[in-house]
Amino acid sequence: MPGRQLTSAEYARLAGSGALIEAEWAPCRSACPVHADVRAYLDLIGRGKFREALDVIREVLPFPGACGRICHHPCEQDCRRNDVDQPAAIRDLKRFVTERDYPEGQKFRKPVQDRAPVAVVGAGPSGLTAALDLAKLGYRPTVFDRSAAGGGLLYSAVPAYRLPRKVLQADVDAILAQGVELKLGVEVGGALTIDALRSQGFKAVVIAVGLSRSRGLPIPGADAQGVELALPFLASADSSGPRFAGKSVVVVGGGNVAVDVARTAIRLGAVRVQMACLENEKEQPAWAWERHEAAEEEVATLHRLGPKRIVVRDGRVAGIEFKAVTAVFDEQGRFSPKYDESKLTTLDCDVVIFAIGQESDLSLARGTDVKVDERGRLVFDRNTARTSAQDVFACGEVVTGPGSAVEAVASGHRAARAVHQFLTGAPINLAESLPPKVEKIAPATVNRLLKATRAAMPTVGAAERRRNFAEFELGLDEAAAMQEARRCMSCASGPFVLTDKCAACLTCRRVCPFEIPEVKEIADISSALCQGCGICASECPANAIVMASYGPDAVQKEVGAALAVLRPDRLRIVVFSCGHHAPATRWGGSEAARPAAVAKEIYLPSMSRLSAADILAAFEAGADGVAILECTSGACRYPTVDQRLRRRVDLARQLLVEAGIDGARLSLAVGGAGDPAAASKAVAQVAERAARQTHKHG
Amino acid sequence: MSKFRDALASGKFTFTGEIGPPKGTNVGPVIEEAVHYLKDCCAAVNVTDIQTAVMRMSSLAACRMLVEHGVEPVLQMVTRDRNRLALQSDLLGAAALGIENVLALTGDHTTMGDHKEAKPVYDLDSVGLLQAMRKLESGTDLGRTMKGEPNALDGTPRFFKGCVVTPCAEEVEPQIIKLEKKVAAGAEFVQTQAVYDPKAFEKFMKSIQHIKVPVLVGIVLLKNAGMAKYMNANVPGVVVPKDIVKRLADADKKEVKKVSVQIAGELIRDMKGMCQGAHIMPLGWDKEIPNVIAASGA
Amino acid sequence: MIVADRKPLEEILKHVAGCGRILVLGCGGCVTVCASGGDRQAEHLAAQLRLAAKGQGRAVEVTVKTPTRQCDREFLEPLRADIGPADAVISLACGVGVQLLAEVFEAKPVYPALNTTFMGAHTGPGTWTENCRGCGQCVLAETAGVCPVARCAKSLVNGACGGTNKGKCEVSKEIDCAWYLIYKRLKARGDLSFLRAEREPLDWGKSSSGIRRTLVHPELTDTVPASAPAAPKS
Repeated sequence: MPGRQLTSAEYARLAGSGALIEAEWAPCRSACPVHADVRAYLDLIGRGKFREALDVIREVLPFPGACGRICHHPCEQDCRRNDVDQPAAIRDLKRFVTERDYPEGQKFRKPVQDRAPVAVVGAGPSGLTAALDLAKLGYRPTVFDRSAAGGGLLYSAVPAYRLPRKVLQADVDAILAQGVELKLGVEVGGALTIDALRSQGFKAVVIAVGLSRSRGLPIPGADAQGVELALPFLASADSSGPRFAGKSVVVVGGGNVAVDVARTAIRLGAVRVQMACLENEKEQPAWAWERHEAAEEEVATLHRLGPKRIVVRDGRVAGIEFKAVTAVFDEQGRFSPKYDESKLTTLDCDVVIFAIGQESDLSLARGTDVKVDERGRLVFDRNTARTSAQDVFACGEVVTGPGSAVEAVASGHRAARAVHQFLTGAPINLAESLPPKVEKIAPATVNRLLKATRAAMPTVGAAERRRNFAEFELGLDEAAAMQEARRCMSCASGPFVLTDKCAACLTCRRVCPFEIPEVKEIADISSALCQGCGICASECPANAIVMASYGPDAVQKEVGAALAVLRPDRLRIVVFSCGHHAPATRWGGSEAARPAAVAKEIYLPSMSRLSAADILAAFEAGADGVAILECTSGACRYPTVDQRLRRRVDLARQLLVEAGIDGARLSLAVGGAGDPAAASKAVAQVAERAARQTHKHG
Repeated sequence: MSKFRDALASGKFTFTGEIGPPKGTNVGPVIEEAVHYLKDCCAAVNVTDIQTAVMRMSSLAACRMLVEHGVEPVLQMVTRDRNRLALQSDLLGAAALGIENVLALTGDHTTMGDHKEAKPVYDLDSVGLLQAMRKLESGTDLGRTMKGEPNALDGTPRFFKGCVVTPCAEEVEPQIIKLEKKVAAGAEFVQTQAVYDPKAFEKFMKSIQHIKVPVLVGIVLLKNAGMAKYMNANVPGVVVPKDIVKRLADADKKEVKKVSVQIAGELIRDMKGMCQGAHIMPLGWDKEIPNVIAASGA
Repeated sequence: MIVADRKPLEEILKHVAGCGRILVLGCGGCVTVCASGGDRQAEHLAAQLRLAAKGQGRAVEVTVKTPTRQCDREFLEPLRADIGPADAVISLACGVGVQLLAEVFEAKPVYPALNTTFMGAHTGPGTWTENCRGCGQCVLAETAGVCPVARCAKSLVNGACGGTNKGKCEVSKEIDCAWYLIYKRLKARGDLSFLRAEREPLDWGKSSSGIRRTLVHPELTDTVPASAPAAPKS
């Protein structure tokens, strides 16, 4: 984006408003259906602020646990690290923060709810999201679902080896804790009609019934014993025991549900599981990584097969015959399979499971003013998220068609907004103008960036995992997660130049490890190239560079907060530590070794942003000593930071000594952040010197 | 009047020596040594001017004392410490005191000496100083009257004007160009920086064949191998060949002075066919100058 | 660009010892570019002043402002409100700015925080080097763009002295011999005639060694507006 330039007056007006960081979005955020602020939460994870990271996620995503496991992560597909090495493991990091035990617990604030009651039908991701949003806005939502648990298809159709039930339940519980009422085992459309809901006082209804019914195929033999449908199969699978022991299973379908079915069938003891789909390998809609995992578990996939008939013997399935598929889509790309009836393939099997798509159950609309069209779909205006009844809205797969959980959540947000606008008498307008996405990173800059290998998700081996429904991905540990979070390129978090202050001195250009600033009349720092390290902002002699992601006083504020928790009558040591190695300041795992009474750590994403002025300010604010724990040389993703930091510390020390402060009250432990013993020692030494000079004690 | 000029004019191989005035008023010993050891074997004796920017008694005063003791001085004059007013004034003074030989030098920078805080003047450079002398000789000076006309001197001096050159500089062409300019500005004799390599000197002398002023090759007595190495490392344009360093290093402690004198003598012997004289810088070993000359066979 | 260097704090403190309110003024001009007197350096100084006062058990109120530059009155006038309540003003401008500030706010003590050193260019990371001495008689045309006045330790005009040593100055092995550079450049151009020409001594009267110099562009001097009333006769 050209013109990341502001006057000081404009900056003063916009600072703290979020306008600068929102000026452009990172591609991950643009790609995310709910526009989760990935850059922000990865930054927090990298600094050890896991709880804060989870809060950022929860702002837009009420299913962090579920999505941390099963999200199709379009964020990662668009991650600009793809151009450098591999994308940041965003989904795995999301999972990581949901798995922590937070000392403060998972406390949720129940909002003040003094607005109208709203009924939501369906407790899947879209319905619960809509309900949660409405609760936060002060409405009193009640969610009705005929199932025994919340979560919709996440509960009934996503296998436990991908999404453990307790993880989903935790997400649902969090939603309920925030003012959403859930009534399970209640079918709307039976005894409880939409009109009945109205008469019970619900001022609006949100239909979020999803696609709850599996489609079958009316081919000969489809009624034989041993023919099953995906959704009922999946719903009962993990509690059904090894019922396929010794059996051979053919799964018809090539989508993600089909893959789930196939992998579930393996876990039920099937000796052989084959997936047969119309599409060829390229066309197959299931996510590549899930297909890969299925293959690891010895699920075979057969392409270009169209089911012709079930081979039945004694009323039981004995096999399935397929005709060859010559094309799946027509010239316009529409689904329109063509077959060659002369080429037939028969697969012997004991079980056939159809996983060829789902449809919605709209029986609740029958006999109401909520109209259904001739093709059996809800009459729905996507611009207003409204059905044909003005107080009835809809969201989720029932209106969007098959999609992912996060897309359903996005749809739920829209419905909630529509309901809110409707109930406040405003015209319904769901149009959103999103910030532009930061441009692709130029190859010249890519070549300057340090490569960093993506953290591999530890998994249970295929041979073992195919025997049970235990979660097969094990999650990242803390060190791996923090390291991985630091791979985020902080897209679009870079600086703005203050036009009235910039003296075109070229310092930014000269200190930038990536040679990104261009200085013509004044500095111009491309957001598409900037890596957000903040070195330039911390060196600019004119103070003319401001970061979009943090204010010039950000470090000083953290210092203030750190000092506030320390007793002023005792020594107060501020410890700046590279967030890269935040765990190191657990003082080697030995809390006893930590000079807890006197020291408070501040984790920075990189020491790049710690300026000499920040160090002076810490002393001004009342710190008796400052210890800086630099990460192991070369560990920072920004080149030159270690040398730059050393020079800043030298400058700060020189300025402090001039002002009459013992230079030993400022120390820099090189490698300290990665070396708990060195960190402890550095802090202790600073404390000792400070005690001598200030006559204060721990 | 200058015997030095006459000696060179006679075509005889001519020696000059060098003394440094004291840091203090005790000028007796140095004058005595000059009279004792240099008077007879040297046509003239250079008197250094606040050499290496280490403050000492004025060269002019010491020169006058030599005159009084019958030794012909060469007044060394650096442009570092005096502006054109003071330089011209001192030149007139020198002439009045019977000092005719003047060697124009720029002078080591103040920061090399013992008064690093001193303001370096360098109003003129060595070429400018030669120009100034020529002006004075022509009866005027570097200034102008209120009307913008040349000033007229009441009585004009006469100098035997000299300059220096570094023959073994690693980049010799600029040295030659500057020498040409000095000669064009009026230099009548040349004393060189120390030379230890006759072959290199021969090459240099060939390259200045077109410059028709007498050249006295510079000879600095090497007091030991350490000094030779130091000069190689630190003194611009001075190269002491390895074999000389080795001779000094191998010499018995008692014999070093003898070896040093021998080396200097041999150097003069080897180079006397190439130039018109030798300027011997004894660095305190004034007594050895006659021995050096004897060793040179001249 | 004018290059300047921070004075030791001790020297600055001597002047403002008794002051309760200090205005620290950075300068957005040359000294920002050479990172000695910009807003950032002004803040560093302000922090030092506060810390030093705190160390002595005193409180001092230090404000930082950085005008576009201090060498023009128009940029100083808007500071009047900030300067008013200050007991002292510390300027991080070059000597030009400090003097103008002292002139515009005559009643206010103004102290320099920098030593103004030279006119120079950025010659390496964090490094500025003198290139011009304002001699008032530029000779660069003859010296291949290398100034012997500023860059030769002796400001020689006729070529290197005997101290030139492997391309370096006798004063320091870190400093290039200007005349060596001139020679090399002229040689590369194949024309040493400028080097051969015997040069007259410089006219130091035109230089900074002379009297205070003034530049006047007649076309920019004040004119009386046509509509202005004639000055009253006294």
